[in-house]
Amino acid sequence: MKPVHIAFALAALFGVAAWQVAVIPESLMQMAVGPSLVPAAVVAALGVLALLYGISAVRGRQVDESHAEDQSALPGARTRLLSLLAGGVAFMALIGPLGFIVPGTLCGMGVARAFDAPLGLKSLAICAAIATSFWLLFAVLLGVGLGPGLPWFF
Amino acid sequence: MSSFDALLAGFGNALQPVTLMWGFVGCFVGTLVGVLPGIGPALTIALLLPLTYHVPATSMFVMFAGIYYGAAYGGSTTSILIKTPGEASSMMTALEGNKMARRGRAGQALATAAIGSFVAGTIGTLALTFFAPMVVEAALAFGPAEYFSLMVLSVVAVSAVLGNSMLRGLIALTVGALLGLIGIDLQTGQPRFTFGQAALLDGIEVTVAAVGIFAVGEALYLAWQGRESKAGEVMKVSGSLWMSKSDWARSWKAWFRGAFYGFPIGAMPAGGAELPTLLSYYTEKKLSKHPEEFGHGAIEGVAGPEAANNAAAAGVLMPLLTLGIPTSATAAIMLSAFEGYGIQTGPQLFASQGSLVWTLIASLYIGNVILLILNLPLVGLWVKLLKIPPPWLYAGIIVISTAGVYGAGNSVFNVGLLFFFGLMGYAMRRFDFPAAPLIVGLILAPMAEQSMRQALTISMGDWSTFVTRPLSASLIGIAALLLVVPALLRKRNHKPSA
Repeated sequence: MKPVHIAFALAALFGVAAWQVAVIPESLMQMAVGPSLVPAAVVAALGVLALLYGISAVRGRQVDESHAEDQSALPGARTRLLSLLAGGVAFMALIGPLGFIVPGTLCGMGVARAFDAPLGLKSLAICAAIATSFWLLFAVLLGVGLGPGLPWFF
Repeated sequence: MSSFDALLAGFGNALQPVTLMWGFVGCFVGTLVGVLPGIGPALTIALLLPLTYHVPATSMFVMFAGIYYGAAYGGSTTSILIKTPGEASSMMTALEGNKMARRGRAGQALATAAIGSFVAGTIGTLALTFFAPMVVEAALAFGPAEYFSLMVLSVVAVSAVLGNSMLRGLIALTVGALLGLIGIDLQTGQPRFTFGQAALLDGIEVTVAAVGIFAVGEALYLAWQGRESKAGEVMKVSGSLWMSKSDWARSWKAWFRGAFYGFPIGAMPAGGAELPTLLSYYTEKKLSKHPEEFGHGAIEGVAGPEAANNAAAAGVLMPLLTLGIPTSATAAIMLSAFEGYGIQTGPQLFASQGSLVWTLIASLYIGNVILLILNLPLVGLWVKLLKIPPPWLYAGIIVISTAGVYGAGNSVFNVGLLFFFGLMGYAMRRFDFPAAPLIVGLILAPMAEQSMRQALTISMGDWSTFVTRPLSASLIGIAALLLVVPALLRKRNHKPSA
């Protein structure tokens, strides 16, 4: 990924946002400013700024930390990112049927893997302990609605 | 009731055992998150927002204040012992404090940082106590037009002055404003930017965006780098925690000077804590009788910037409590907590929620004492925390973030948004877009729109109301100057000399 790609992403965001402004229904209420004026102004500003950023990125004036010596990524960056995101996807997929603790554990293991911890029993045990402690703290002690810990037991 | 009487009543409430307990919890958690790299006060407060439904407002805000001050205290420990400043404002402490630690004077560096934080935090809180009612009195004259102009000034200042690039700051602000406008328009009931999705009708939760950008985004960035898999080198706390006579003599003036830089600059819309810490550092370097020690572990180089950092933390609370304007990400999250309780912020806050505000201010004084007591004797515990291996530390951060967001509304959609904002935070970190303007834009855009529409309704659609009312015109003028002057100055500096 390079700054030019960010410029494209901003341009795409501008396009989608402009389309959404166009579909805001007009209000029948009589008022000085309707519901679409401010969104239109913000989207227009985004368009101008995205264009300026794009020009600047093409000229090579925008920053990418991966070029900095002490900030650049070590090999395996994509795998590490995907491990972390896979943890999040596992949480979303399983929180409904399996309660909090199992998806929380899997999410933690994905994150730990992203920081080079091997997928194994140690990781399973530590992440299960983390998920269980947070469930006990939030759901049992503080009454936050996290759903059941393990739907079969508690 | 005078400010002094109100403050005494605030102390009466803050010293109640239950409130005191929440203050203590806040200071402890705040120091903990300040010490741990990767977690800041904004993220912690955002994560704790789901609790707002279960705990009384006064207790919750006392805890938030403890977290806010505690994080500023705790950040110095990390800076001194592992030279990892959690925030830009701790950079100078990391520079001199770590050098002191390497010379076997970690104890004295931690002591001057803690005592300086206490002194400056107390001075900052005193200034907040006596100046806040004056600002409130002046702000009561504000109408919707002035509010709109003030919000424009704040967002422009936060975006254009902070960060490394005005362009990237303004883009972050605009994206934040766009996100803030998602949902039902409160005046007409029309859906905006919802893509026909019912889940977006209530808008984007500030908590989800903040936690996604700060916690998940940071974790993704560090995972991408792959340089965090082992805990860093933690310096031993060697030597006594007691400062010598000479250390005291070299520190006390720096504490006071730091406090006098920190509070006023922190209270300005774009002040922040970076500028006062830098100013304090260079002032101490200039005034020191031992300038040769700077860069090698000068105690004034820790004392001054740490004091400035903590006084700035008190300063940031001034526009938040008196005008309802957040000037940092943490203040923006606290504002959203006020909204969560249905509390109207702005100058009327002192009148409508006087007891809460004065209890909060009183708790800041008490929090400073708690933090002084907590920090030095428990330094051994904080050092142990720094040795937690990153895989388990970040696993804990992400699981608690996910739990916090899911627990707020049992919404899997919001968890998806959390990771979406995480990816956005990763890209912002990698391509150097500042996060604070996005969060401030997200919160202030709908408020600014509301004020603008009210002002235009009052003026019967006359747009000149923003420039014909003197106060509003001045604020708009300052915002315009902030946009134009830095660009002109940069252009002038880049001109090749003849």
